[in-house]
Amino acid sequence: MSEPTPTPAAEPDFLPARRWNVVWVVPFLALLIGGWMIFQHLSSQGPRARVGFETAESITAGKTDVRCRSVKVGIVKTVKLQDDLKSVLITIELDPDYESLLRKGTQFWVVKARVSSGEISGLGTLLAGTYIELDPGPNTGIQINDFAGLETPPATNSNVPGRRLTLTADEAGSLLAGSPIYYRGLEVGRIENRKLDEGGKIVTYDAFIQQEFSMQVKENTRFWNASGIDINAGADGFKIRTPSLQAMISGGATFGVPEGITPGKPAQDGANFKLFTDEDAANGSAFNPTMKFLMLFNQSVRGLERGAPVEFRGIPIGRVAEISLNYLDEASDSRIPVLVDIDPSLLQTKTREEISKPDFIFLRSCVQLGLRGSLKTGNLLTGALFVDLDYYPQAPVADLGKMNDLTVMPTVSSGFAQLEAKITAILDKLQALPLDDAMKKILAVADDAGGALKEIQTTAASARQTLEDPEFRKLPQELRTTLGALEKSVASVGPDGAIQGDLLRTLDELRAALRTMKLLADNIDKKPNSLIFGRDSSGNPVPKSPSGSR
Amino acid sequence: MNAPFSRAAERGLAGCHICGKTSPVALGKCPRCGTHLHLRKPHSIQRTVALMIAAGALYIPANVLPVMTVTELGDVDATTIIKGMMTFWRSGAYPIALVIFTASILIPFLKMVALTWLCLAASGKVHPSPSLLGKIYWFTELLGRWSMVDIFVVGILVALVQLGNYMTITPGPGAVAFAGVVLLTMLAALSFDPRLLWDRLEAIRLAELSHLHSPNS
Repeated sequence: MSEPTPTPAAEPDFLPARRWNVVWVVPFLALLIGGWMIFQHLSSQGPRARVGFETAESITAGKTDVRCRSVKVGIVKTVKLQDDLKSVLITIELDPDYESLLRKGTQFWVVKARVSSGEISGLGTLLAGTYIELDPGPNTGIQINDFAGLETPPATNSNVPGRRLTLTADEAGSLLAGSPIYYRGLEVGRIENRKLDEGGKIVTYDAFIQQEFSMQVKENTRFWNASGIDINAGADGFKIRTPSLQAMISGGATFGVPEGITPGKPAQDGANFKLFTDEDAANGSAFNPTMKFLMLFNQSVRGLERGAPVEFRGIPIGRVAEISLNYLDEASDSRIPVLVDIDPSLLQTKTREEISKPDFIFLRSCVQLGLRGSLKTGNLLTGALFVDLDYYPQAPVADLGKMNDLTVMPTVSSGFAQLEAKITAILDKLQALPLDDAMKKILAVADDAGGALKEIQTTAASARQTLEDPEFRKLPQELRTTLGALEKSVASVGPDGAIQGDLLRTLDELRAALRTMKLLADNIDKKPNSLIFGRDSSGNPVPKSPSGSR
Repeated sequence: MNAPFSRAAERGLAGCHICGKTSPVALGKCPRCGTHLHLRKPHSIQRTVALMIAAGALYIPANVLPVMTVTELGDVDATTIIKGMMTFWRSGAYPIALVIFTASILIPFLKMVALTWLCLAASGKVHPSPSLLGKIYWFTELLGRWSMVDIFVVGILVALVQLGNYMTITPGPGAVAFAGVVLLTMLAALSFDPRLLWDRLEAIRLAELSHLHSPNS
């Protein structure tokens, strides 16, 4: 070839350039861009929170909104079953701006159409779909990411001023979330939520009392269920109580301070109250039994119930706590043990002090004076019994006893049982009478009477003999003749008789004699001295009475 | 002796990068098109490595960020590549899942690994056998053709599925990153000068030859 041979200067350079190449800007930029993209993506993702619900009904991952006052603040990301398969865990993602809403006290609930006796709510969700409502808690700065969702919406928002209380009850009864709470008949609040505690023994209600009535909730206020119709037949008769119609349908609670108790300080937010089943139970709970007595009744306690009153001469001082044979020591004991609770505060102050002493000296002296317990019929219709304490001075001597660490109060039978006992006693006495002797005596008397009769018979026979005697038979004839003679002699006395004429004459003369006597008497009367001085012996001219006899 | 094995570089000849004319490198410029003449691509390995690192940096957001956002009747669903693949796999569409996995995850990854390995080989850090080197290089060239499948898919979907409120697909930030990965790997593959590999093989062979001849001489 004509081309020149390569010179060493044209040798290719195999050494890589050591100097900084501009191409390194590219990975640097790529790193920057990539990092920025990831950062952007992550920062556009809001905070996540996990909310537990009972069911994920109508909640869709990626679709269901999370709203706060109808403003969308996030979205449901995932819906998963909990490990125990008993609830669901919903992961929500909030918009980054609303991160602060995930704080302690924030509540979540599902807003869907609800129709209950109290209200109809959430109808808008029928068309627009359900959403999860977020109610931010107080701004305490404590951020949390795990929440327990509410199954039912709280009736009132957490920033509405008012008292939030907890009520606990043994049974849910007819109270629902949304049931009204009344105070003296006014609706002052609502039941917001009800749930069973972890042990499954207590039902807990969240209650809300409006601000203006919140001062009415005192520390010693009692809440009771005012739902439904309450018919009660106890030792104190029949009671029927009905609340308002709404409360009857949807349930309701009422509160108040029992009569005779000074209202305490207003209750604090979050205070816990017991929800009583009815007003009586609520008022009865003022009762603070600190003394227990065992009473052994030697009669049937049918009609005596737990809670039956214990009265002292009509004043309630306690209640029947329990009727159980278990208090007995011996199986052969046939008495019925009744445990009664006594509230000494219901007694007179002095009595309370005395009775509360542990030595029972006072009580012992009372028992010696005849203090006894007895069962009495409180209601003849229902046969309900109550325990009555009273003094029975004639009762057999007794003393306070002791059985299984319980003080035993002596009892007497009373009421029907007493009546029964009395009748029995009468019958016993009748039985004890010496009837045999009496009969013997009666028989002896009867024997004597027989002898007397015989004598009477003989007397009668002799009498008959006398009557049948012919002499005696003549007697009537003689009597008749005697009577005839008598008639004749009487006839001579008659008007035509001789005696009559004589008698008339005699009488005429007697009358004339009497007339003169009268004149004489008149004269003497007018002029007593005439007996001595004669008729005209005085100088005084006295008109002469016509003299002479008539 | 040199005649059968002589190389253009040894004779100071360089191929023009643009028009392909072979001319003495001493000329500096291609006599035909005026392009700068180089015996080999300048800073080839350095550039390739830099672009590979850049691709690797974008590979992470490409897989973490959503590639596309499907809005279906108001239901917004943003899917990453992996999530989309998993959805297909779970729904039983195994072939599609495999295709997506291969084209979107495996191939870019393998391409980056292979190119890095080739760079190492070219700079003399590893010493593979010539046949393996050839296969790896062939494989890299082969993969390059399939790198853009995902971007094609996303591009087509975005262009086609614009049904207003019913269904809309918009590319996500992941798609941009992924396009960056594909672009950078392609550039890296372009900036890599495979002749560096063969130069090294040639040098080894020459050294072996001289070693072979030295006892004879």
